[in-house]
Amino acid sequence: MTQIAQDEPAVVIIGSGAGGGTLAYELTKQGIPCVVLEAGPYLKNEDYENDEWKAFHQMAWLDPRTTSGSWRIAKDFPALPAWIVKAVGGTTTHWSGATPRFKDHEFKALSTYGKVEGANLLDWPITLAEMEPYYDRAEIAMGSTHRHGRKALPANNNYKVFANGAERVGYKMYATGPYATNAEPYDGRPASIQDGFNFQGDKSGAKWSIMVREIPRALETGLLDLRPDSHAVRITHDAAGKADAVIYADKDGHLQRQAARVVCVAGNSIETARLLLLSDSSRYPKGLANGSDQVGRNYMRHLTGSVYARFDKPVRMYRGETMAGLIADEARHDPSRGFVGGFYMETISLGPAFLAAFAEPGAWGPEFAEIMNAYANTAGMWIVGEDMPQETNRVTLSEKVRDQWDLPVANVHFDDHANDVAMREYGYGRAEAIYGAVGAIGHHRTPPYPSTHNLGTCRMSADPSDGVCDRNGRTHEVENLFISDGSQMTTGAAANPTLTIVALAMRQADHLAGELKRGNL
Amino acid sequence: MEMTRSVPSGSASSVAVSTVADDNYKRIPIGLERGSGSRKLLARMLRVMFPHPQIGDDPYIRTAEAVLNMACEKPGRQVAFAAAIQDLMNLKFEEMDDAAALDHLRGMQGHDFFTQVQGSALLAFYDDPEVWEALGYEGPSFDKGGYVNRGFNDLDWLPEPRIEEYQGGEA
Repeated sequence: MTQIAQDEPAVVIIGSGAGGGTLAYELTKQGIPCVVLEAGPYLKNEDYENDEWKAFHQMAWLDPRTTSGSWRIAKDFPALPAWIVKAVGGTTTHWSGATPRFKDHEFKALSTYGKVEGANLLDWPITLAEMEPYYDRAEIAMGSTHRHGRKALPANNNYKVFANGAERVGYKMYATGPYATNAEPYDGRPASIQDGFNFQGDKSGAKWSIMVREIPRALETGLLDLRPDSHAVRITHDAAGKADAVIYADKDGHLQRQAARVVCVAGNSIETARLLLLSDSSRYPKGLANGSDQVGRNYMRHLTGSVYARFDKPVRMYRGETMAGLIADEARHDPSRGFVGGFYMETISLGPAFLAAFAEPGAWGPEFAEIMNAYANTAGMWIVGEDMPQETNRVTLSEKVRDQWDLPVANVHFDDHANDVAMREYGYGRAEAIYGAVGAIGHHRTPPYPSTHNLGTCRMSADPSDGVCDRNGRTHEVENLFISDGSQMTTGAAANPTLTIVALAMRQADHLAGELKRGNL
Repeated sequence: MEMTRSVPSGSASSVAVSTVADDNYKRIPIGLERGSGSRKLLARMLRVMFPHPQIGDDPYIRTAEAVLNMACEKPGRQVAFAAAIQDLMNLKFEEMDDAAALDHLRGMQGHDFFTQVQGSALLAFYDDPEVWEALGYEGPSFDKGGYVNRGFNDLDWLPEPRIEEYQGGEA
């Protein structure tokens, strides 16, 4: 692997997930050397465990965090606001693979929904039309089923229940994808063996992740200096206010300094905001690039919820791809339902270990045992929809708890907006109707899991006073500092965010490469 | 991870705690050690909390051991557990029928001892391969070639659904 000198001002990318990993490959492919600092270890596909808790302890981000607010997570999982990965490849290791695009109106949330009391809605400074070529590129890179000639995955047991129920209640827009796991060999990766361990890292490589595509290909260019176990703790700047280096702790806790020409932050929305807040100085007293006081604010997590339904016959939902089925009929904007924005329903399955922990946190007794006893006859779906950005839903630095480097941890404050609550209730009702239509004998409404979709803490805005970065992810205040992950999302839309994070990173890479070649950075 | 272990509140916050049991507790003579009856009492408590008639005693005993090990990680917790278990023994908890035992546990809800037992037992019990088997879960599958040839689509009580996207445009 190439080594870039620590005193050579380099393009430094913090984080190696969907945003950072894509950016690293797209830039090195164009001849631009990059340093990638990844806080986690270099796990490979053969290291992944087919075991829920073993995999969780192997790859989850378990550095301490704190929570506040009225969300149930603060009571049930106060130290685990988010369920994301700390390893090379980031949360693409754990992701399920669903790849719907954001819709045209979702890039214009404020114009479409109008002013919503208590929400901090804004239109994106980019449109779907501008994103479409990048969505195409991202789908081709990831091998999304049902797109660009990629075959659909077959129906697994969980999908059979889901799709038949959808049909019977009158839904039309159901299918086994789009889903970035191969139904047949593609791009050097095998077809799915339907092993059912998507959330634990896919050992076979049938699922797209940064680990099976972008990292190996970026390494092949000879231009990537990948540094695992390298936890960025501060971005420094010169007298003119430009970012000039990234300080990071190596695996032994020794501080290192990498000089930087450009810094791209892609640490997932909680750590990205935390790093900017930790990088305060007399020039940037509220944190780097935080003159607008919007860093950390407008934290979104999708509204989410699950329904697990029991039948009098076997389902065996755990066999096969975890999320290979979605219903898009409710993803439209239709305020007659009592809320703005829309949601998807997607198949989901947990093993007994995770179902016990997450189905109804804190539960015990005969009713709970009944949920678990029905395991083999249970079908599951996840509701994922647009939640409202709120200024007070916010990542801040804890005043009480410090991490292993003695730095303040992130506190994640979250309160559901009334629109979120209305959409979740409606979604639960629709899910129950779907399962009721195919003979469910019982069901359980499961509250949101620790957040897997963490968005919006450094949002894009046309006006610098409304957000943190511009339409290219460049921060309004620091001209060589970029936001390269889901933090830059102005609003959250209904769809799973990974496809959009990848498409935005591809777009940003083109912009950065052009600026570097023109000598503007 | 030690730092996630120390998080105090929240019944399910122990999800970040290892569920692997070892046998440290057996050597510490303050009322939790082997021969004290603590393991047996706790196993009874766990069966009332997570009642699965088709599951034998072994997973409940293993879970009780995991809970006692968790309790013995910190002296304060250890002594609190010893006292709470002694209380249950004094009340002849093991002689109560299912309904009376359930009522008694309902009265303990919210108490620190109960919350810690519930949180750690839940993790260990439903992570036990014998429990998986009893519930109809097959565990790791990659080494067996996944389910592509082992029934990922064997549900036969509903018609085969469409897998392609709807061709009629936006509904």
